[in-house]
Amino acid sequence: MSGFETRLTAAPAELVEPEPGVALTWLDEATGLGRLSWPGGSRLVVVEGGGTDWWVTLDGRRIGISVQSWRERVLAEAVVSATSHGGPVDISATLPGMVVAIGVAEGDSVVEGQTLLTIEAMKMQNEVRAPRAGRVGQVAVVTGTAVAMGALLVRLVEEEAAPGG
Amino acid sequence: MSLRTDALLAAPPFRRVLVANRGEIAVRILRACRELGIETVAVYSDVDADALHVALADHAERIGEAAPRSSYLDIDAVVAAGLRSGAEAVHPGYGFVSENAAFARAVETAGMVFVGPPAATLEALGNKLAARRGAVAAGVPVVPGLTVALDGDPSDPTLADQVADIGYPVMLKAAAGGGGRGMRRVDDPADLADALAAARREAHSAFGDGTVYVERLISPARHVEVQLLGDRHGGLVALGERDCSVQRRHQKLVEESPAPGIDDATRAAMFESARAVARTVEFHNAATVEFLLAADGSHYFLEMNTRLQVEHGVTELVTGIDLVAWQLRVAAGERLPASFETLAPRGHAIEVRLYAEDPWNDFRPVAGDVTAWRMAEGPGIRVDTALTGPAQLPPQYDPLLAKLLVHADDRAAAIARLRRALDETAIGGVQTDHGFLRWLTDDPAFAAGVHDTGLIPDRWGAGPALPAAAARLAAAAAREVRLSAKTNLPPAVALARPGDSAWARAARREAVDR
Repeated sequence: MSGFETRLTAAPAELVEPEPGVALTWLDEATGLGRLSWPGGSRLVVVEGGGTDWWVTLDGRRIGISVQSWRERVLAEAVVSATSHGGPVDISATLPGMVVAIGVAEGDSVVEGQTLLTIEAMKMQNEVRAPRAGRVGQVAVVTGTAVAMGALLVRLVEEEAAPGG
Repeated sequence: MSLRTDALLAAPPFRRVLVANRGEIAVRILRACRELGIETVAVYSDVDADALHVALADHAERIGEAAPRSSYLDIDAVVAAGLRSGAEAVHPGYGFVSENAAFARAVETAGMVFVGPPAATLEALGNKLAARRGAVAAGVPVVPGLTVALDGDPSDPTLADQVADIGYPVMLKAAAGGGGRGMRRVDDPADLADALAAARREAHSAFGDGTVYVERLISPARHVEVQLLGDRHGGLVALGERDCSVQRRHQKLVEESPAPGIDDATRAAMFESARAVARTVEFHNAATVEFLLAADGSHYFLEMNTRLQVEHGVTELVTGIDLVAWQLRVAAGERLPASFETLAPRGHAIEVRLYAEDPWNDFRPVAGDVTAWRMAEGPGIRVDTALTGPAQLPPQYDPLLAKLLVHADDRAAAIARLRRALDETAIGGVQTDHGFLRWLTDDPAFAAGVHDTGLIPDRWGAGPALPAAAARLAAAAAREVRLSAKTNLPPAVALARPGDSAWARAARREAVDR
């Protein structure tokens, strides 16, 4: 059974030592509903996923867990190092909706967390923020644009190095 | 031999009623109709063809496409469905067309009874600013502020002075508002211009009317509302109050009755204010008058809704009165019984709303599918929901999954019962506010009943970090499943990848199906 490593999926992907002495009894295996019991208690859980990637819902909280063999771990690390470059970042819509306000223009410098635009979706105004500092390379929408899930909204590019900086 | 027991009941208030809504509230109303011996007509959009409310109704009428504007908000389509199906009355539920005066008028013009107030009442109350003026005229205290619209350019010094006179912090509110939309808190005069623009924009996009007014922020405050029921003969009763102070985005998540920690004098004063506001309009329906209750015990009128509230169930549990049945009965002309006047509430009831939204991410709505579903059962539990198992959640509609209500002898017992019920609840596939609600049952301020509308920002904040013990248990569960003989869970579940949005998952599933 050894050789598998469990980590939280959320950054910084901390290693988690599984609680010992835990048993899982399915109540409805088809939907991943079960009862988790251990010497200190028991809880209803929902387990979803497959392969290395899992979600466990416990006390109403979805917890992402990766379960990896050493071979999978080596492969995953190779992928991460290939994608963690400092190039352009495309910011896409995570919900379908309507662009109701745009707060930046092409060429603007933005700081991490700055509001780029506002999308109304599911009866709510959702502010889309910059995931990191940079310069706005492209604004792909205008106010009033209906966007589909995954549609490009804004592309951030590297801030050009300031003179002497 | 008939299986129905209609003959044993008084004559049904109507022969056939159309329920102009969807989801849990449509199911709730259909059930009341059944119990009264009324035949039911459901309406549905294309994505709701297999929904529970359609399955439970005697007849069902398609009214259009998934987008609310093309179906549940389409007045002509709903009225035509009523006429086609031979309905005598239309119950609008809450939301959608329930407070739409044009809809009420169209239903009555078509010769059916609108289970709600006259159209003129909806017009009068639909404008929160006009309702505010009405309350002032009736001698009911309102939150200090302006009773006129906040017109004009926010950079205009006159307007800035007017707001400054009220005293910061202030709340900007949409005159056509409801559901917390178009509301903005402003702490600093420098932020007024931006907040006003944002409030107007949100109000315009949500209600087609960008009129905004301003009130002083009352803080700390509790949100307490009085349930009223009126008949066509001048009968008007107050059926207790509900505390709805646990809110995010000015929208309620938890409601209870009786309100904790208010004395009889305060309660009586609020009931009197509620009746005074109600007498300013004509109505024969269930209605709710909402107040802010300040720390010194003074109350301020917020708004009046002449429709069924989402949280009506807590009042039903403590009074034993079926509010939906009585909406139908008073709509048909029945008088309220005298016994309602002297009715004393029994025990304590709490409702929590289960939403597809992430309490660890600002309670933002989460799109996706419910892949696992288990609701609590047992003594003192009521679940109002339209879900019976795993289901796709149409993104076009409100993300309310279920209302879980508990009833017990006193508040402490009700909280203990709620905790037990939430431990029997499991929802997979999407993050819900279940985790927040479970946390709430252990929160000392909530347990003591001393919380106010600041509970979520002040006490929950961004939510507690993941406890190490929970992480270890989750890791054990995930490893256990991975290492067990079965390689994977079924495809619908196995398609989930951590870090994915439910949308990405749905798109991938579509790609797989194609």
